[in-house]
Amino acid sequence: MPESGRDVDAVTRALVDLVGRDHVTAPTPGATTPVWRVAPGSVVEIAGLVRAAPGLGVVVAPAGSGRRPPVHARPTVQTSMARLCHVLALDERSLTAHVQVGLTGVDLEAQLVPRGLSLGDYPPAVMRSTLGGIVAVRTHGKSSARTGFFEDNVLGVSAVLADGRTIHTRIAPRRATGPDLARALCGSEGAIGILTSLVLRLHRAPEARFATAYALPSVAAAVAAVQLALREEAAPSGVRIYDEAEARVHFAELDLALGDGEALLVAGTAGPTDLAACDRDLVSSAAIAEGGRLASPALAELWWRRIHGGAPTPAPTPTTQLMATPGRLVRVYGAIAAAAAEAGLALRAHVSRFDADGAVVFVTLVRGGAVLAETDPGAVAVVLAAEGAGAFPLGARSLRLDGYLAALRTAIDPDGVLSPEALT
Amino acid sequence: MRGEVSERVRRELEGILGPRRVSSEAVDRDVYARDMWPRLLLARRAGDAPAHQPDLIVWPESVREVVAIVKVARAAQVPIVPYGGGSGVCGGVVPVRGGITVDTKRMTTIRSVSADELTCDVDAGLIGERFERELARRGYTFGHFPSSIYCSTVGGWLATRAAGQLSTKYGKVEDRVAGVTLVTGRGEVVETDGPTRALRGPGWTQLVVGSEGTLGIITSARLRVSPAPQLRIMRGYWMPDVATGIEAIRRVMQRGLRPAIVRLYDELDTMINAASHDEVGAPALDEDAFAPSPAPGAGPLPPWPSPDAAVEAGPLARLRALARGGVAGLRREAMGAALGRSRAFNAVLGVAAERVARAGCRMIIGLEGARIRTEVEAALTFAELDAVGGRDLGDEPGLRWLAHRYAVSYKMSPIFADGAFVDTMEVAAGWDRLDELYAAVRAAIGRHAVVMAHFSHAYADGCSIYFTFAGSGGAADDARGHERVYDAIWRDGMEAVARIGGTISHHHGVGLLKAPYMHAEHREAMTIYGALKQTFDPDGIMNPGKMGLDRHA
Repeated sequence: MPESGRDVDAVTRALVDLVGRDHVTAPTPGATTPVWRVAPGSVVEIAGLVRAAPGLGVVVAPAGSGRRPPVHARPTVQTSMARLCHVLALDERSLTAHVQVGLTGVDLEAQLVPRGLSLGDYPPAVMRSTLGGIVAVRTHGKSSARTGFFEDNVLGVSAVLADGRTIHTRIAPRRATGPDLARALCGSEGAIGILTSLVLRLHRAPEARFATAYALPSVAAAVAAVQLALREEAAPSGVRIYDEAEARVHFAELDLALGDGEALLVAGTAGPTDLAACDRDLVSSAAIAEGGRLASPALAELWWRRIHGGAPTPAPTPTTQLMATPGRLVRVYGAIAAAAAEAGLALRAHVSRFDADGAVVFVTLVRGGAVLAETDPGAVAVVLAAEGAGAFPLGARSLRLDGYLAALRTAIDPDGVLSPEALT
Repeated sequence: MRGEVSERVRRELEGILGPRRVSSEAVDRDVYARDMWPRLLLARRAGDAPAHQPDLIVWPESVREVVAIVKVARAAQVPIVPYGGGSGVCGGVVPVRGGITVDTKRMTTIRSVSADELTCDVDAGLIGERFERELARRGYTFGHFPSSIYCSTVGGWLATRAAGQLSTKYGKVEDRVAGVTLVTGRGEVVETDGPTRALRGPGWTQLVVGSEGTLGIITSARLRVSPAPQLRIMRGYWMPDVATGIEAIRRVMQRGLRPAIVRLYDELDTMINAASHDEVGAPALDEDAFAPSPAPGAGPLPPWPSPDAAVEAGPLARLRALARGGVAGLRREAMGAALGRSRAFNAVLGVAAERVARAGCRMIIGLEGARIRTEVEAALTFAELDAVGGRDLGDEPGLRWLAHRYAVSYKMSPIFADGAFVDTMEVAAGWDRLDELYAAVRAAIGRHAVVMAHFSHAYADGCSIYFTFAGSGGAADDARGHERVYDAIWRDGMEAVARIGGTISHHHGVGLLKAPYMHAEHREAMTIYGALKQTFDPDGIMNPGKMGLDRHA
């Protein structure tokens, strides 16, 4: 393990030999734990890094677009995948794309759109990440009622294992040949292997899109309307529920005509024209059945431009995001509202990203005109209340199989070379 | 298991389960030696004793008992083989190293259906028919209707990644599982459920599902259910040829439409099915008498055994009849002779099939679900079929298929009784190589047996192909001769899949049959399976000798 500056230099030289001088950033001099940023240009170079790591006394951790600042306890070679950004193959007959992991969702979409194809209805915040990052780090919300959970569109992966071998999981629409081995790598945050490329299922660009907005008597009624529509098998490309306060912030420029405690429901549908219109009508009749009324089309259009046209969303980053299953959404929202009131906080929230597992509640808590940070004790109390009602916080990790995860990591990476700090 | 070990283990298990739920009786050991793998049926027909038998069979009733059983086995280093309905066709339950066979069929509780979450908690030993009836009574469906539904269990489905006949809409069983409870080879209970799309870390459910007992015993599962369909629309279509039919399915799926059933029969399959078109209302062949077959409109699950005789001979019986030289021809030798010269026979049938092919290929397509959306999807689906030149045959062919859809398994034994054998090979690939895969596998099997196929279980990115073949390797009691032909069919078929790409199994699983081809299927990725095995079953007691794990553990 490098302890002196000389050792750091030796590691830097070894890395330069492996990937070239232009692609190695040496650690900040004097840093307590040295971190090298390396941009390998090929799978072979990644394999070389992983093989060399134990001898150099370093660990290897892939870096995504890097919004979360990495904290490392051990000397670390952080691999940027920015140079692995090619579409390796595009199969317009099977509607699949074989892509390298350094490509962002937005970049891939730019190549797909002229061909009448698309990755699917995923939020811009997700699509700005690298595809490797989207697949390696599982957070809720990468889901659409129409095009499914992002990970379910991953048909196969290629990855470098701790011993430097490259694996490719086999591509078939479905199989019955043992466990789905790609699922060991999806969501593994670099701990089981370093993803290098993905085979993704694509979708044809929809022939028609519709967006509509409804005012409902309450958040509970709006949730009931969405669930009623989903049960009638509507598959909207996007659905969002705003409580009254949130609607006023997000649509400040428009006349909302929302009553006290009412909720705003916006829905987008897409697909073959008849199907998109059918889904629109199913959402519409569900909204009306739950006591709703049609709201101004301008609301729906503005929302649509924001999620598909790149128009900016005015609202600041929410305090926290929580996930709740379909049966618990209303209870969770109620618990949040009660806890916020008790703490003397102003609350505004929207519910989005509905799928079979539930939906995500975006919670903004305000005290004295300022949005609370997630770590504020008031916010923590609200989150605890929500968890008490059955919500899962953003970035929650299943602890139940921790012993098995540790054993799996040991079996596949006995020296602990790959992202030892991930998923701990 | 050595005698004294066996005796000690038996005493310990009796201490846990009581003497009535532990058996070392010869009859039980014989029954639990096999599943429905045709290769084992050949040996049985020849009167051979099973090559492998369990030493003990146990019938636990709770997770706690399963844990205790695994702990006893682990302490004694004795293998465990989980056993559901025994309807597998790949030898997955054969106890190749003896040990304890754990029958799960006494664990049958259905816990509540959550109407809000649209999930249902159910024990692994429940037979599919009972599960689906219970759901139907409450207004739901799991949407999983394999032809084995009367004799396969929920746990067996999950262990093998099974598919039902309506999977094109509802998905395969792995698409419908929210989580499982598993007793691992360490003798610990793990639960993989939870909002799996929101939790960080590997997707454990999908790493356990399909492991065929090699990682642990699935004792219960949380499954996604759907509201019972309000509407079902069935149609038959004639397609100008197979290629056009495939193209039609691809277009339907890639427009985002989800019919529940899509089945496209190749020329031979069409010819054999078409022959039965002329005989609607003809007296049933005897082998159909036990096949569940309701009147059209009687719902998805006919009672069993059927009070009504079936009216359609069905493709296998038709194949058998053809092989005998006509429905009336009954000579066993004629069948053997025809199947023994299958290359020539395929050529003859091919010529006949080509004549049919000029008239077209048959397709069955059906949609079900919520009323309004199903109607809209049906209109769009049929428009796609019309656009490629398909001809609408109305609802009768579809309804007839629906009525006889569980009959296929009941038609196999007469062929065995005639001294031949029959089996199925279900492969899958992306649309880009589906034609190629069809041609290659068909040619590989056709070297040894009479083969027909249909395309079903369609996806936006590809489709599965279901080959049915009948062959013979000599006299009925010449098990070795039959096995030689049988093994050659699988060797050549699997080799063709490995060469073209795609998967060696879409929904029947691996077991012993496809274990030798697991490395060709997964290559270096088997490392991950080996690591999972080491993690969940460090002592290697769970269903050893299966899935090609031995060279990776």
